[in-house]
Amino acid sequence: MSEAEPTLGAPERVVVRYGELALKGGNRVDFERALVRNLKDALKRIAPVVIERQRGRLLVTPEARAEEIAERAARVFGVKSVSPAWGCPSDPEAIARLARAVFLDALAQLPRGVEPSMRVRSNRADKRFPMTSIELDRYLGDRVLGGIDGVRVQMDEPAIELGVDVRMEGVSVFARRIAGPGGLPVGTQGRGLCLLSGGIDSPVAAWMSMKRGLAMSFIGFHSWPYIGEASKQKVITLARSLCEWQSRARLYIVPFAPIQLAIRDRAPASYRTILYRRMMQRIASRISERDGQDVLVTGESLGQVASQTLDNLRCIELAASRSVLRPLVALDKEEIIAIARRIGTFEISNVQEPDCCTVFLPEHPVIRGVPSECERFESELDVEGLVSTAIAEVEILRIER
Amino acid sequence: MTDPIQLDAAATTPLDARVLEAMLPWFTERAANASTRSGPGARARAALEEARERVARACGARASGVVFTSGATEANNLALLGAARARAKHGRRVLVGSSEHACVRECALALGREGFVVDWLALDTGGLCDLERAAELLREDTVLVAQMLVHNESGAVHPVRELARLVRSRAPRAHLHVDAVQALGKLELSLLSLGADSLALSAHKLHGPQGAGALVLSGERPLAPITFGGGQERGLRPGTENLAAIVGFGLAAELAERERPRFSAAAERWRADFLAGLAALGGWRVLEPQVRVPAILGLVAPEPASEIRRNHLEARGILTGAGSACQATKANLSPSLAALGLDEASIRRFLRLSLSRESVACDPGVVVEALRAVDTELARPARSAR
Repeated sequence: MSEAEPTLGAPERVVVRYGELALKGGNRVDFERALVRNLKDALKRIAPVVIERQRGRLLVTPEARAEEIAERAARVFGVKSVSPAWGCPSDPEAIARLARAVFLDALAQLPRGVEPSMRVRSNRADKRFPMTSIELDRYLGDRVLGGIDGVRVQMDEPAIELGVDVRMEGVSVFARRIAGPGGLPVGTQGRGLCLLSGGIDSPVAAWMSMKRGLAMSFIGFHSWPYIGEASKQKVITLARSLCEWQSRARLYIVPFAPIQLAIRDRAPASYRTILYRRMMQRIASRISERDGQDVLVTGESLGQVASQTLDNLRCIELAASRSVLRPLVALDKEEIIAIARRIGTFEISNVQEPDCCTVFLPEHPVIRGVPSECERFESELDVEGLVSTAIAEVEILRIER
Repeated sequence: MTDPIQLDAAATTPLDARVLEAMLPWFTERAANASTRSGPGARARAALEEARERVARACGARASGVVFTSGATEANNLALLGAARARAKHGRRVLVGSSEHACVRECALALGREGFVVDWLALDTGGLCDLERAAELLREDTVLVAQMLVHNESGAVHPVRELARLVRSRAPRAHLHVDAVQALGKLELSLLSLGADSLALSAHKLHGPQGAGALVLSGERPLAPITFGGGQERGLRPGTENLAAIVGFGLAAELAERERPRFSAAAERWRADFLAGLAALGGWRVLEPQVRVPAILGLVAPEPASEIRRNHLEARGILTGAGSACQATKANLSPSLAALGLDEASIRRFLRLSLSRESVACDPGVVVEALRAVDTELARPARSAR
């Protein structure tokens, strides 16, 4: 390398690409707006940013910390990929100098043993620019590799793909792409209320629904003093962790011991679990009708435990007055755990805290629950009284991060 | 709701108001790095040395032997790892009490991975460390013995003075380390009189701040440092000293020792009154080690698991300590309680009451009444399965 090679500082800006929403026709503008809003929300804790909408992508210019901004933006739903980038004026000579610096920086970071190969991929949205994309690729390829031996130009899966975005507003050059989660911007599909236990499944169910554009609230059922404060704090921690994906959420904590006691004392042991869950559905439905969540979300997975047989799921959902989404219904436990690990909830869920007290658990839960039986047992309970008391005493926490 | 009654002093104690007051200036107008040679630095150094003297006096040691640490876990780590490594040339056997705190047991296991052979010293039928067994296990090549003085779950006072004599005669090269976290303020603690080589102490068990503790050395035997840095604390605990916390620790230790006779007498009375009330409840078992301090009381409650009872008592404003979480697997159950001779079912129902200078003033009758109310609440019959 000659002494005159330009040195490269830290990235200055971030190119954010979005996938599916580009296809959504008339809704596109709304979706873009939601994405910009969600990005701003997510990024403001790191540094103040300016976000410009460009065709098919967003250009984020932070006051500082562009690398962290890029990592964070890659955890916002609706984002397909993210690139930390450098900017320069829309002029072939300036682009060539910057592109070479970016390339040399990427080359220096290439792990030992990886054969150095590269391609230039430019995207010319500014048609006033004097070269076509293909001409620019070729021009930059020559300028970037000039005087460097041992780097092959390779079209398929090169070790380094040098990206050049030519826009009217200026040019961005980058060599790294961080995959985003995809999906749709949170809030564009309405609002959900997720029944959150301390377990592994329900946070994954929430995450998957948020990924499809639901803005999520959470509801936890806490049987104090049969279950300790630590279980409640665990649910709060899980809700906080999920707020990584939507910045803020409401968490309802429902005092549940009186309901479990009533069911334990009045109903046959084998039906207890189904009846507990029917009460949860009733309470969640009632709260969602009051507070405007459109749908309930649960972590149920077909056949995973005794309460999740087809018959029992049917008994449980009949108590809900809202639609119930079960995004995990067809996933194996291993698949759920893999997602939980990826999104960072597994470590929290995996701390052993009970979500149901041993004194409430039946030894032999019924496998094929019958709805009419549920109703018969509930006729011995003051269902309405129990539900309204629980709702009157619900604790509402506002989680932010 | 009124302030809860804190009967979990073995876990932690509230900061004494006098201690807090003594600490505050060291966070603000008197804050300084005690290793600097400026005026404020020199004054901080003097305060540190005063705290060292106070801690030494409270536990019958020399001030030069006090090494301030972040707490007892660090002190125990330094003692076990530091002593065993420094003495490895004389042998590679260590003898460790089987009901020690996790930070001692885990150090012993770590030494096992370094190639030391670990012998575990069981308890006798009276709940005290078994001296006959110790006599059999101690050998010429035993280089470290670790035995706590007051057990944190049963209140048992182990015969460490007698153990020290056995160690001197049978394993003359061994370093005898004593975890005395639950002892200071509860009995007359003297490193000199115990004849041990080191003690571990913690400030927050004595109405002092969390984040301060000490390893107190008799000075007979050198230790290998386990952390490295700027040479503070005789090179055994490098790093800028936690000045305010250490000042607080010094005063807390002094107060604990000064107020010990009154506290012990009050705790004996509390215990007697409480046990008299408890006897009327039925279904409770009391752990009564042969020799014990009054302020720690181990109980085996009726069904169900003690965590549920602990929560119910908390809901009634009484904080207690439970041995294990309900859903703890067998492997997670307290090994210390097993060492005390409790079976699995009893360990799941273990409940600990421990008194501080503050909570010893509460009415034991109120606690008994709360236990009675919770017993009744939890004994409510469920509809049977069909």
